[in-house]
Amino acid sequence: MLPFVLYFIAALVIGFHLYELLSLVAYSIPINPLELVAFFGSFGLLIAAYISLFRPRTAAKVALIAALAIWSFYAPGIVNLMRAK
Amino acid sequence: MLPYLAIALLVIATFYSALVSFRERPKDAPPTWLFPARTRRPARIAVGLASLLIFGVIVTWVIRGPQGSRDRTVRFLVPENYTGWVRVDFEIAGSAPLPVEDGQTVTRIPPSGKLATSSTEQFGIEKDRYFFYSGDTLKPIPKSGPGRLIWGRLNGEEQSASGKRTYEEFFVGTEQQYLSQAKARSGTNSP
Repeated sequence: MLPFVLYFIAALVIGFHLYELLSLVAYSIPINPLELVAFFGSFGLLIAAYISLFRPRTAAKVALIAALAIWSFYAPGIVNLMRAK
Repeated sequence: MLPYLAIALLVIATFYSALVSFRERPKDAPPTWLFPARTRRPARIAVGLASLLIFGVIVTWVIRGPQGSRDRTVRFLVPENYTGWVRVDFEIAGSAPLPVEDGQTVTRIPPSGKLATSSTEQFGIEKDRYFFYSGDTLKPIPKSGPGRLIWGRLNGEEQSASGKRTYEEFFVGTEQQYLSQAKARSGTNSP
């Protein structure tokens, strides 16, 4: 159950954060394409959570790919934040 | 808070999935927390039912939006590069009411930083958003975190010749600008 709980909670929290960022489009703020990639990545994490109930190792591979997709958005943000500090 | 939690969970999920993906499970080894066995059928059914419930709640929340909640969602639009105090005076007779777009009250601050409106002040769980505007372009203003530019949010009530009226104020600028402005302000107000 550990992989399911981990992937599921991570997918929900990350997905919600990205949903909030994407919803800013309603205020004419352009979407960063990497936000979309990461958003689909959080879906991948959610799918991995359900796969983990049947095939934990396959789920780990799916989760890793999804996590890398999500990092494509967060990593540049973290680097910029570090530089700003 | 949410971005930090998202990053922390992402780090854990990445390490865990990488470890399970690349590390070989010893043959005939019993299941461990790192290499768990396939989940049992009753647990899978319980997860399925719980998931349906969670997704039902999320879909309902997204569909209902802010109308069904007691949140206060005001969109403050501040002129680009504006620095200083912003003040909104409510219930001023003869002033224009604040427009409402997508269930959110839009407060467009003029270059002077002072706005008077006939609308009444909203109360509720504060979920305000701040933006710099330049023409039709909007840029979000961070109200928390390292790049924070919104400070000293307050609301109050004032007695005037026309009766009681409410107002809101906040400062737009860096922390240093805010602290020096606040110092100057308290110096002006002191006897």
